[in-house]
Amino acid sequence: MAEPGNDTLVEHWKDEPAPLLPLLHAFHERDGYLSEEALRAVSRGLRIPIADLFGTVTFYHHFSRDAAGLDRPRVCNGPVCSMRGAEVLLASLRAAGHDPMTMPCPGRCDEPVPVIHRGTVLTGRTAGTLVSGPSPLPPVPPDGVEECVFAGIRAPGRPTLAGYRSQGGYEALEQAVTGMTPAEVVDVIDASGLAGRGGAGFPTGRKWRAVADAPGEPKTIVCNADEGEPGCFKDRVLMDHDPHGTIEGMALAAYATGAVRGFIYLRYEYPETCDILEGAIAAAAAAGLLGDGILGTDFRFDLMVRRGAGAYICGEETSLLNSLEGGHPFPRNRPPFPVTHGYENLPTVVNNVETLASAPPILVHGAEWYRGLGRADHAGTKVISLSGDIARPGNYEVPIGLPLRELLHGWAGGPPGGRAVQAVTMAGLSGGFLAGADLDVTLDEPSIRSKGSFLGAGGIMVFDDSRDMIRVTRESMEFFAEESCGKCFPCRIGTQRLVERLEGQGPRAVDAWVDEVVDLNEVMKKTSACGLGQAAPLLTESLIRYFPDRVRAHVEKG
Amino acid sequence: MKRNGTPSTNGKGVQLTMTLDGEKVAFTRGETVYEVAERHQKEIPTLCYDPRLEPFGGCRLCIVELEGARNPVASCTMKAEPGMRVRTRTAALEVQRRILMEMVASENRDTDVDPMHGYASQEMAELLDRYDARTGRFEGALSGESRPDDDNPFIKRDYENCISCYRCVRVCAEQEGDYAISVMNRGFHTQITTEFGGLLKDSACTFCGQCIQTCPTGALGDLKALANKDVPGETETTRTICPYCGVGCTVDVMTRGEKIVGVLPAMDGPANEGALCVKGQFAFDFVGHPDRLATPFIREEKSGQLRPASWDEALDFAAGKLRKVVKDHGRRAIYGIASGRAPHEAAYMMQRFIRAGLGTNHIDNCSRA
Ligand SMILES: Cc1cc2nc3c(=O)[nH]c(=O)nc-3n(C[C@H](O)[C@H](O)[C@H](O)COP(=O)(O)O)c2cc1C
Ligand code: SF4
Ligand code: SF4
Ligand code: SF4
Ligand code: FES
Ligand code: FES
Repeated sequence: MAEPGNDTLVEHWKDEPAPLLPLLHAFHERDGYLSEEALRAVSRGLRIPIADLFGTVTFYHHFSRDAAGLDRPRVCNGPVCSMRGAEVLLASLRAAGHDPMTMPCPGRCDEPVPVIHRGTVLTGRTAGTLVSGPSPLPPVPPDGVEECVFAGIRAPGRPTLAGYRSQGGYEALEQAVTGMTPAEVVDVIDASGLAGRGGAGFPTGRKWRAVADAPGEPKTIVCNADEGEPGCFKDRVLMDHDPHGTIEGMALAAYATGAVRGFIYLRYEYPETCDILEGAIAAAAAAGLLGDGILGTDFRFDLMVRRGAGAYICGEETSLLNSLEGGHPFPRNRPPFPVTHGYENLPTVVNNVETLASAPPILVHGAEWYRGLGRADHAGTKVISLSGDIARPGNYEVPIGLPLRELLHGWAGGPPGGRAVQAVTMAGLSGGFLAGADLDVTLDEPSIRSKGSFLGAGGIMVFDDSRDMIRVTRESMEFFAEESCGKCFPCRIGTQRLVERLEGQGPRAVDAWVDEVVDLNEVMKKTSACGLGQAAPLLTESLIRYFPDRVRAHVEKG
Repeated sequence: MKRNGTPSTNGKGVQLTMTLDGEKVAFTRGETVYEVAERHQKEIPTLCYDPRLEPFGGCRLCIVELEGARNPVASCTMKAEPGMRVRTRTAALEVQRRILMEMVASENRDTDVDPMHGYASQEMAELLDRYDARTGRFEGALSGESRPDDDNPFIKRDYENCISCYRCVRVCAEQEGDYAISVMNRGFHTQITTEFGGLLKDSACTFCGQCIQTCPTGALGDLKALANKDVPGETETTRTICPYCGVGCTVDVMTRGEKIVGVLPAMDGPANEGALCVKGQFAFDFVGHPDRLATPFIREEKSGQLRPASWDEALDFAAGKLRKVVKDHGRRAIYGIASGRAPHEAAYMMQRFIRAGLGTNHIDNCSRA
């Protein structure tokens, strides 16, 4: 079959919602890169000034502007994989005649080292042993622990519509659209205490109510499946093995808020997940669970997947919205917030995958049930992605309030080889490190925030006592420097200066070094325009707090 | 340009107020905290701000403390709300601003540039002074790649002095509507670019020069004015109107002694609000150009050759010919066109001459084109 021409591709997408990213992907996949001719065709077709389009394309890590750039294997050099032989894998790919490039963590930290090659995720340690396969299912929790989002995920056939329905799937939606008012659905979510699982922890019921109450139509539900935080791979397992859970959650959010369209903004690094989601959406639509007249009512909801192209900041909700709209993905200034001025400046729910996937079980079992899943006063559960120096890495759905050490040692077997935990990261990388006595926290925001960190999206990377914490911090800071969008001064310059200081540049006396680094930390935390720049300095702050001797040795080594 | 109207009310006749550094002040709905503070002479520092553009929120120098907010907020993007309590100049804010200035100075090759670069080119240097920023702190890589290969005669693209405030990109889009330049890459590697990184002449740029005039560091420079940077004497500016066309842009012409050394757009010009086009901005060097005619010439009827003449002779010659045309064909046979390159006073005289002197309304100016 002949390749589709430029005009065919442009015609196909130009009147679709949020057309820029899919159209660019279509050209990228057809040609193996984004040529000047392709960009000029897109610019004309979508009426985007060519200079803007060019600048925006260069923002995304995975769009290649060089011929055959798509052929280059992309190898994770994230904090886990860099300890697990990313360099060896790169060298072996080179030896095998490839021209590999590195990429930040693609969310497969439980199976290092991942490589993305032409739309397939492979894992392995050398070029010759790379294999593709489904992402790992979550390990079975200890006896007596009740799960919410993972409760049915290990059942065979769960990803199919029939399998999902055989376990009671879409009953929550049916119950809602046939027997509840939208406000009643919001009330249940509100009463459950469910808070955002994407990082910021905003109460979900309040968000839905704000969108329901906001003037302006049409309203939109955006599922944030960008999962760009290194050390986080929980949304992937939810979408790969239980796609209908997220879809049903989005439909519930739509019913509760009066939204009629939805997007799943899926990170580029999850190509197989894209196929799974699109298959599940088609199956749900065919069964009358999406589209017009859902379940025989006049409720209507259209759902589409849009793929990112490699930019961590596009997980920040306002940057995500700009990316969806085809603009330059700088975060927006807030207020106004997406609940009133979201996609196309209209009321929009942006929720994380895990948040949305929690809604159906909450509706079926009730708010009280969900609240009761947490320990002590804490409501509900949180999926923790655990990786690094740990015997059983993977996704664990823990009761909120579980002691960290219980998860590390009791559930996941502690560090292998009889080593001790030197430090763990929190919130993927964004929470910086916890170490020493602070490892006694419980897994809930108040406890972790009291140590100057936060739980966030729930990625925890473990570093045993053999690891060089300066190197870990430097590589982690390189991630933030690489991903800083460049909009605001403190983050754009600060991440770079911190990397340089962790590389051994900057003052050679420890007091002067610390003085500069503390100033950078403080100004970034206080004045950065978004969460990236506010969080990045937690790495250096906690490094100085827990490892002052390592800092001294690093600065004074000459 | 945003104009601040009279303070508005909440619809029930109660004036909207907020507290600014302990003082209750009135504001108009839609005003930003920065705009309110400006009206009260708070002199909040800014680098990414241009009152003509949508607020951007990049430089973070305009931060203020807002009661109830965890972190300082950017006053340029924050709309004033009734009951807000804002502090514009606490010790903590001043320290943060100083560090921000030290950070931004650390990425540039020069922080002290010739004012002939452009209207806003001293903004960064002035703030470095005001905050007594310690140079040499946060030493590290410099950002931005200059484009000495761009040999256009108007705009110097010296991005080694760029601080990624994107005022140039925004003015090009929002004021000029050209969308000729944009931001490529991200983080520390952001770079102002045209489509595919090419030269300005191959882009949608119309060389209006607005990017130059909003650039706060001199990363963009007015090459026509910079050519005169060593002309001796103090720079004087004279407010006038661009003669080239009917828009009537207000300009401040810079002179040193007898020489025009550059043109600055008037930010308060009612027709242009700081905008100019390539002619008004750059086309002034004909005034002192060595190729300019220094005496009148008369074209010899037989040979068709031009020969120098005295003013008296030339004027008599012209008067004679004009009289003959009027006599043979009537006064309406004459049509006068004044040059856009002549001073306004000359254009006025020409118009009087045609109307009052010859008695016809057939008078025009090339600037109507
Ligand atoms: C730099 C940055 C990256 C983020 N990345 C993600 C992400 O990948 N996925 C996500 O759900 N939220 C991410 N967030 C949080 C979102 O901005 C937003 O709070 C969230 O999607 C809201 O959904 P929730 O309330 O269900 O958590 C990120 C925030 C920041 C500042
Ligand atoms: S904090 Fe960083 S990522 Fe966020 S807006 Fe500023 S530069 Fe961009
Ligand atoms: S060239 Fe000047 S105006 Fe443009 S971004 Fe750089 S510093 Fe700002
Ligand atoms: S010629 Fe250009 S600068 Fe002069 S008045 Fe007209 S538009 Fe303005
Ligand atoms: S997959 Fe390599 S660090 Fe996450
Ligand atoms: S002036 Fe407000 S952030 Fe730059």
